[in-house]
Amino acid sequence: MVDIEELKKQFLNAEFDSKNFELDAEKLLVVAQTSGETRAEFTDITHADFQATPAFLCSLASGRHLPIDFPSLGGIPMDGGKAVECFKPIRPGQPITGKSHLHDIYDKQGRSGRMIFIVVRMEIFDAQEVLLAISDSRLVIREKPTA
Amino acid sequence: MSIQNILDVEFGTELPVFEPDTTLANVGAFARAVGWGGPRFESHEGARKEGFPGALVPGIMGMGFLVSAIHRWAPTGTVEHIDGVFRAPMIADTPAIISAVVTDIDEDEGLVELDMTVKNTKDETRVFGTARLRLPKA
Repeated sequence: MVDIEELKKQFLNAEFDSKNFELDAEKLLVVAQTSGETRAEFTDITHADFQATPAFLCSLASGRHLPIDFPSLGGIPMDGGKAVECFKPIRPGQPITGKSHLHDIYDKQGRSGRMIFIVVRMEIFDAQEVLLAISDSRLVIREKPTA
Repeated sequence: MSIQNILDVEFGTELPVFEPDTTLANVGAFARAVGWGGPRFESHEGARKEGFPGALVPGIMGMGFLVSAIHRWAPTGTVEHIDGVFRAPMIADTPAIISAVVTDIDEDEGLVELDMTVKNTKDETRVFGTARLRLPKA
């Protein structure tokens, strides 16, 4: 059985990934429209305050979810949920960088065994290193029972 | 009733129910726009081959529905934080019912807390979560 406290000591709060993005206006528009958005800031590309929806920001955290040296826990990580905190609007064409680290690791005992929850946090910065948003992804892994 | 400022909000108010477009075409367009195009979100048959009951609605699209429901209710508000727990898959071409209730109000700061759910027509919760909304003070 994996020692959660040991995993925390080894992996929490150490940046393991950094990606650069420039959001595409048409894609932001499609995401807003298909989500049922009605606000012009999200549905009108010509609006002076046109910006990404919170849901779009969550999508930036897809791809490599865990540090390359993170141990295998047996199961395939499932997407248990997302959270996003928005501090400033993020606009199309604006260079941004998403820096990822593990924010929390915890477990819960279920009837079918132990579930391990890993919170991957992506902090999104502009070119001046101003924090624009925080996107959390909760991965859930059903631990493989030891033989 | 459309909310314009924090004084319009009452504790325990239920937001108008919002039933978003979960058709396969709409879900596929969302998935492609976020770079997740593929059978899992665009084809019932393809998703079944992956072991799912049908094409899935991405969890983050569910969060998009929640934000849209808030904006429809409070067009002057800014969603500062939203947290969604993906409890069970949402399936494309099946209805999703978005509901929300006001659970806290901070009139000094202009902040509203909401509990939110996405359910199917069997009243089974697919996504639940919370949101924090900032509104004009008056």
